Amino acid sequence: MKIFTVVLLCIAALPAQASETAITQVQDSYRTEEGSAFAATRGKSMWTQSFIQKKSGKQVSCATCHTADLKRAGSHIRTGKTIGPMATTANEERFNDPAKIEKWFLRNCKWTLGRECTAQEKGDFLSYFQSE
Amino acid sequence: MAQPQAQNNNRQTPIRIWNIPVRLFHWTLVGCFITAWLTRDNRYLDIHLFAGYLMAGLIVFRILWGVIGGPYASFRDFAFGWHEVWLYLKGVLNRRPPRFLGHNPAGSWAIYLLLTLGVLIVITGLLGLGGEEQQGPLAGWLNYPQGKLAQDLHELLAWLMLGVVGTHLIGVLVESLLHKENLVSAMLTGYKPAPANAVSAASQWKTGIAMAIIILAGGLIWFQGYLTATANQPYRPFIGPELPDNALWREECGACHLAFHPSLLPARSWRTMMEEQASHFGEDLFLEPDTVAEIKTFLVKNAAEQELTEAAWKINQSIPKSKTLLRITEAPYWLKKHRDISDAIWQNPKVNGKVNCAACHLDAEMGTFEDAAMRLPD
Repeated sequence: MKIFTVVLLCIAALPAQASETAITQVQDSYRTEEGSAFAATRGKSMWTQSFIQKKSGKQVSCATCHTADLKRAGSHIRTGKTIGPMATTANEERFNDPAKIEKWFLRNCKWTLGRECTAQEKGDFLSYFQSE
Repeated sequence: MAQPQAQNNNRQTPIRIWNIPVRLFHWTLVGCFITAWLTRDNRYLDIHLFAGYLMAGLIVFRILWGVIGGPYASFRDFAFGWHEVWLYLKGVLNRRPPRFLGHNPAGSWAIYLLLTLGVLIVITGLLGLGGEEQQGPLAGWLNYPQGKLAQDLHELLAWLMLGVVGTHLIGVLVESLLHKENLVSAMLTGYKPAPANAVSAASQWKTGIAMAIIILAGGLIWFQGYLTATANQPYRPFIGPELPDNALWREECGACHLAFHPSLLPARSWRTMMEEQASHFGEDLFLEPDTVAEIKTFLVKNAAEQELTEAAWKINQSIPKSKTLLRITEAPYWLKKHRDISDAIWQNPKVNGKVNCAACHLDAEMGTFEDAAMRLPD
């Protein structure tokens, strides 16, 4: 009976673990590059920091599409497509695949900052997503 | 055959001439014709089809009733030859047309014409539906160009029928004036003044009630989807064919916008688009080469040229072969179909521009873009 309960609990905890594992894996890969700790507070302040897009001259930040509240859904500023919340608690399935995490960092950092994010920045963002 | 009544018969009492099924047929047919006319825009295709099927049923019934319907309703009571029509029309020109209790010769020819046109309209309508929309009992019988031809014929016949209806109405007005009797109210009540020796029609109310029940039940079954629809799950009267799908395409393209189905642009457009993925409408997609290859293969294989849907066929037809469009919204067919959409609708927060097909097209995700699967946002 006890084993049965444990199994049940494990199943219930599965999705949470999946994203945690992926994020830890990605963060570990960043850590070997720079070796410092990641801080949700740094991620948070960068999230709303504005950058000027070279092509359009527009001021944009991560929050432009994702909103400043990680628990809320955002929308693509050009197409209006709904973007699911970024907080791991609000959107478990988003962070299950390390390759996907990398792909979106590449695409969206280039779009927003005009450059790739550093390993430190990416790690901070991930900590921020987990903290909310 | 009916004989003309003496003009100066002075002892006339109202008797029933038109039995209930004849009157119900007449006015329901009027309703069908008006409804079909008002719903000629494909957006209301399901209502249009109901009017069409009902018209078909009514015509079949009327032909049957022309055999077993009894006095005044039977074809043999108004089987007039051309000579009698000519005599009657001459009488009209002299302002002294003979009076008939049942249908007069000119009116009878209007009936035969209307029934014939009705049958042809139903047939061309079903062919057009089967060809252009690939829907209905004849789905797949014709291809898109053949269906379009049937559709054009359908419209021409409908105009002809409108002409005959107009002539019929003028005839009713003229005869009502010349005989100083109200033929419209006679078709409503069934009664006309008649000499004492005239034959009266039975009411045939049982057949009338059976007709009414069948029509109402048919309507309820046809439109039942509206009764169970909710705001989140609106009723879609037409479900299109299941189109080819691809998980990678849906994931990558669908991440930033609706995954526009390959059938919405020609292959040359998709090739260019995937080759230029580093500047996709001004943005770098950073797609891996094998991702690009798989999505490109899927897009090219199911492009507009494959004519998977009516929209695919029409979009491809409308784009000059020399042009490689990257936006579906620049295809002449798209522009034509959306020319009546006001700026207010495009700017509606629920729509948010021309990129959001799904705001109005309920089957945009599937890519089928059925004509009747549309609704403008509130």
